[in-house]
Amino acid sequence: MIPLNQQHEADVAVIGGGIAGLMAAIAAADKGASVVLLDKANTKRSGAGATGNDHFLCWIPEKHGDISVVYNEFMDSQNATSNDTPLVMRFLETSPKIVNMWNDWGINMKPTGDYHFEGHAYPGRPRIFLKYDGHNQKAVLTEQAKKRGVKILNHAPVLEMFRDAEGVTGVLALDASGDEPSFITVKAKAVVAATGYVSRLFTTDPTPSQMFNTNMCPSGTGDSIAQAWRIGTYLVNMEKTYRHAGPRFLARCGKATWIGVYRYPDGRPVGPFITKPNVETGDMTSDVWSSAFTDLKLSGRGPAYMDCSGASKEDLEHMRWAMKCEGLTALLDYMDKEGIDPGKHAVEFGQYEANLVTNGIEIDINGESNVRGLFAAGDMMGNISGDIGAAAVYGWIAGHHAADYRTRALGDISQESAEERMAFYSSIYERKVGASWQEANFALQQIMTEYADCGPHRVRSDTMLTAGIKYLGDLRKKIETQLYATDAHELMRAAEVVNLLDLGEALMISARERKESRGRHIRSDYTFTNPLLRDKFLRVWKEGDEVKTAWRDRLI
Amino acid sequence: MPPVINKEKCIHCGQCVDICPMDVFYGSKKGEFPIVRYPEECWHAEACALQCPVDAIDFRIPLTLIVPVKKLPHDAMS
Ligand SMILES: Cc1cc2nc3c(=O)[nH]c(=O)nc-3n(C[C@H](O)[C@H](O)[C@H](O)COP(=O)(O)OP(=O)(O)OC[C@H]3O[C@@H](n4cnc5c(N)ncnc54)[C@H](O)[C@@H]3O)c2cc1C
Ligand code: SF4
Repeated sequence: MIPLNQQHEADVAVIGGGIAGLMAAIAAADKGASVVLLDKANTKRSGAGATGNDHFLCWIPEKHGDISVVYNEFMDSQNATSNDTPLVMRFLETSPKIVNMWNDWGINMKPTGDYHFEGHAYPGRPRIFLKYDGHNQKAVLTEQAKKRGVKILNHAPVLEMFRDAEGVTGVLALDASGDEPSFITVKAKAVVAATGYVSRLFTTDPTPSQMFNTNMCPSGTGDSIAQAWRIGTYLVNMEKTYRHAGPRFLARCGKATWIGVYRYPDGRPVGPFITKPNVETGDMTSDVWSSAFTDLKLSGRGPAYMDCSGASKEDLEHMRWAMKCEGLTALLDYMDKEGIDPGKHAVEFGQYEANLVTNGIEIDINGESNVRGLFAAGDMMGNISGDIGAAAVYGWIAGHHAADYRTRALGDISQESAEERMAFYSSIYERKVGASWQEANFALQQIMTEYADCGPHRVRSDTMLTAGIKYLGDLRKKIETQLYATDAHELMRAAEVVNLLDLGEALMISARERKESRGRHIRSDYTFTNPLLRDKFLRVWKEGDEVKTAWRDRLI
Repeated sequence: MPPVINKEKCIHCGQCVDICPMDVFYGSKKGEFPIVRYPEECWHAEACALQCPVDAIDFRIPLTLIVPVKKLPHDAMS
């Protein structure tokens, strides 16, 4: 058995030291709560915001006037289909305070001297993405958390959450900082789950042979969504898988930072919005027609290119600077080495594989789930989108409310559940032969991509999903008895696959239940979009071994 | 795009080992030249290169990750 070497107690335990997790820890500590934050890596450079971001969705009253200006633009965007309105309003109302806080702490929110909004915008319409320089954001937030006495445990991936009849009671984690794994427990009065985006569920689209070439951080495997699922937390919008786009074949987010025009190979613009690069708006074509790159390729009219060649010298310099703020250093280095000059060469763009973002834990206006004391924030929130802005703001809101539990008595982690889970993870480490985590992950991706992929040009159906659910069940039995790891790092990766398997199941069951086609969820057996389901969110959760689903109205 | 460390420059401080979000240098010992143990898990975040105090880290780009480019006819017009 892997030894249990550390036992901590805290008012609030935070899972994940990304943008949302660090903000939650800061807010909870500000309110006087004792906080332990556990991260899979090192919070100074972990997660999707590791090396920077540059667009922050927010409301700045002196720039936008009424909040409805930002609300309307936001709700028109492609990812707003999973948003409960009261949460969006709370996010936007709180955003000016957070933006000012970040600026005071030393994240430059006014790199041009004032608040300036650019990119992700339609010509002639209000702009809602604040241009900022996030290259140092993780170091700054880590320093702010430490200053407030937050205890940060790096290289300590959380494996499980625990609850009793009253609510959440704590977490089990792995100490993966050395060769030999050991366990850590944290008893807590409240838990904030903030493990980010879900990668690695579907076969990596640009490069099937390179599982870690993903547009978002490939260590983000939705761990806390799965852990919450296992203790009966409501998940929502799990069927609404997302597909991002960007440069081929080096997968990377950040398409809005490119100042260019999407073009056909013969030079004609793909979309109707601009014919010349426009630094203020960018080219909205791929936001509006998100399947454009795939459509062009499959119709034989592609590939599509991002062409910055018409941009002025100043705009190209601005783009290079912005790419650094955005953390796209690898892409810049690559282009420099290969002699690629965006001022001369158009870069091929394409869609990446399906992912989960804004598909996850259902929260209330304070960030709390249906399990008392369990909060969720960031990309793993199931009913509000907004990327870095929402992660920062809702992280802060969740931490603020989680701290209210500090007056509650500390519950006990059930000895029986903890021992059962420790025995399970120990068995993976003690097994000498079997399936590596890579093998298990590829097997899972195969099933997900074959039976539950989303559009464009891929369909789901009752029979395909039913088959897929059966195959996931078969794979689960094999994974539980064959998965093996030779060190703490591989054990962490093995646990990720176990989590992805749960998320795959929740996704397929939800997709089978949504009997219509909507956006990327294309059903061959229900080819129409049902107006009655427009404002309906699908909730999925576990009661014992049984999976339940229920519809609810989107909150307006 | 796994990291390649310059042996001459490296001062064995171990900062890259601790900072890498993917644990690519997992198992490396403090005070020793780091080993690139799990190169296929590199996300080319370049966190290690940004952290390295002596600029000792470079990257090899796998052939699978090429970025295809084209000079478009539109160039002539701009
Ligand atoms: C290159 C790039 C550019 C981007 N640009 C923008 C932009 O300009 N604007 C924008 O709005 N958004 C942008 N995004 C998206 C943005 O970075 C994310 O939306 C944001 O970081 C989400 O924050 P989060 O806290 O939910 O997750 P993350 O910041 O990804 O943090 C998740 C954290 O959880 C940790 N973790 C994971 N599993 C576990 C576990 N089991 N136990 C403990 N810890 C765990 C991870 O190590 C990580 O620290 C970009 C993303 C990328 C990759
Ligand atoms: S950070 Fe640089 S100097 Fe330090 S161990 Fe890594 S490569 Fe060597």
